[in-house]
Amino acid sequence: METGSDRAAELESTPGKVGRRRLIDALRLSEPTREKLKLARKKTAEIWKIFRGNRIGMAGLGALIFFILMAVFAPQFMYVLSLVSDGAGHPWGNVYTPFKGTGDGVFKGPSWEHWMGTDQLQRDILSRTIYGSRVSLEIGLVATAVSMGLGTLIGLLSGYWGGWRDEVLMRVTDVFLVLPWLVLMIVLASLLPGGPSVSKVVFVIGITGWSSTARIVRAQVLSLKERAFVERARALGSSDYHIVRRHIFPNVFPLVFANSILTVALSILSESTLSFIALGPPPSKVVTWGNILYDAYSRNAITNGLYWWIVIPGLCIVFVVLAFTFIGYALDEIFNPKLRKR
Amino acid sequence: MARSVRAIIFRRLLNAVITILLVLILNFMMFRVMPGNPIKILLPQDPNISQQYIDQQIHKYGLDQPWYVQFFTYMINTLTLQFGDSFHYKQPVMDVIWDQLTWTLILVGISSIFMVVIGMLIGIIAAWKHGGPFDTGSLAFSLFFYAMPTFWFGMMLIVIFSLQLGWFPESGQLPIGEKLSPFDWDKFVALLDHLVLPAVSLTIGSIAAFSLIMRGSLIDVMTEEYITTARAKGLTESRVLKDHAVPNAMLPMVTLIAMDIAFVVGGAFQTEIVFNYKGIGWATVDATYNKDYPYLQAAFLLIAVTVIFANLIADLTLMYLDPRVKMG
Repeated sequence: METGSDRAAELESTPGKVGRRRLIDALRLSEPTREKLKLARKKTAEIWKIFRGNRIGMAGLGALIFFILMAVFAPQFMYVLSLVSDGAGHPWGNVYTPFKGTGDGVFKGPSWEHWMGTDQLQRDILSRTIYGSRVSLEIGLVATAVSMGLGTLIGLLSGYWGGWRDEVLMRVTDVFLVLPWLVLMIVLASLLPGGPSVSKVVFVIGITGWSSTARIVRAQVLSLKERAFVERARALGSSDYHIVRRHIFPNVFPLVFANSILTVALSILSESTLSFIALGPPPSKVVTWGNILYDAYSRNAITNGLYWWIVIPGLCIVFVVLAFTFIGYALDEIFNPKLRKR
Repeated sequence: MARSVRAIIFRRLLNAVITILLVLILNFMMFRVMPGNPIKILLPQDPNISQQYIDQQIHKYGLDQPWYVQFFTYMINTLTLQFGDSFHYKQPVMDVIWDQLTWTLILVGISSIFMVVIGMLIGIIAAWKHGGPFDTGSLAFSLFFYAMPTFWFGMMLIVIFSLQLGWFPESGQLPIGEKLSPFDWDKFVALLDHLVLPAVSLTIGSIAAFSLIMRGSLIDVMTEEYITTARAKGLTESRVLKDHAVPNAMLPMVTLIAMDIAFVVGGAFQTEIVFNYKGIGWATVDATYNKDYPYLQAAFLLIAVTVIFANLIADLTLMYLDPRVKMG
């Protein structure tokens, strides 16, 4: 109790924290909720403090923020770039958009008018690359949410149930674990009814990517299940649902979270590969980096020396994937204290 | 003890059989039961086909039978490796696949040796001097190539080494129109010439997985007490590393090599497409363009079963090498 009041006194003494405290008071939350919020905030602050000290993680975060800003403000981004060209004395006809032909000819090399040249439909490749960040990131995030959700659910159920149900779920997981992801993706993407679409790509990536998460979560649940606090909850008569939700899931979540950041990287790579073999979202309606590379490859950009068309979108993929990987590694170090010692 | 080992081996075998069975069911469901007309999948798309022919084919494939009869026929056909005729090549699918499989095995085989050996060496040195410049450098190198789409890396290699420098041919496996023959020196050289870029692309793209795990595993082992004991005995650092740390750190690698076959196959697919290297990956993607479903089905099954067997072998090898695994 004493420490509690000390903590309160400390909070009162610093002005910034008082403000936040008042806000929480003003929300009129119940006492346990308020405690939980406080704890959550404290924990987040702690994690942030460790994360901030991690140079690799911060580099990844910086790069990621850059790409997110680029995706959100793509038109504004293009506008600013057009001003640069204006300043250099080569004004653009208009601010280019990814789907409208510019009327400046096909397969043009880089110039002040078209920094990265034009493609087979006279479209400005620079604008396609910048707008491409939108769907590339979106697919990466949504597909990850799908595969993580599925993996966590199956891992939780399998680990908690045990017995024959665990056996069944794990055999199914094995199938998805050993099947080469690209092969399964290709077969699924070409067999699923309906034409190419973003949601199909998300589904295909999600359904092929959940198995390792399920395994990790299950292993964690198996050890958590035997711990005293779960035992205690059970002795108090908590329902299975309550135990899984309140006691097991919160302890599995950090692991899933760190893992999911790495999965975003893999999902973005998967999308680009699928697009590259023409099984991605429809190139006429959606622009992703993978689609741009597919256009470039199928129009022989390599042999025609249109290198920018290939190099820049590819580098975008590399840097976004690196950004997520760096953040993932940094989080892994935070959530797996065993690694922290190294 | 001996009995329990046998029981565990039996269990592993059983699991592998179950997994294969599930793959067979998945395959059946994907190609027959999935929404959409299975006839569309089983017959070539051609507007000139008469209704009579369609009916005849439906009967031939047994699509007028109930699903369990279809499933039974499917199982029999699969177990006897009869996948029907490829729409595209107009000959039995298996004949086509064997030919392409040779090419893929050459590419994947050579690359695998390099990626395992180089990956492990990098991992060992990085872990040994961990925190040092080599460690940081190799980590950056590994992550950079790990983050790179394999197909894109292949394109970059073509741009640099074949178009700019002109060192290697940009695509294919042998000069057009020539067949593989094992005892022809000139052809062998030509083959190697064509193999360099795809093999480098596949190797470097997959090295990261091996070097990172080897590094992690070795760092883990270095904190074990028996390493301290070995040092306390006065052994030199290199002896500790060679005789005590590395052999133990290699154990997880065995599993990893098998697990990574799935990953390498994915990389091989991309590499084959970019380099126009006509192996099973190139042909599978080609089959999706041609809607050659008999081919797709056979290739999928073959790859899946191969990978499951590889995993099984790795599991059993690991059990043989590391008795602790048996207990778990």
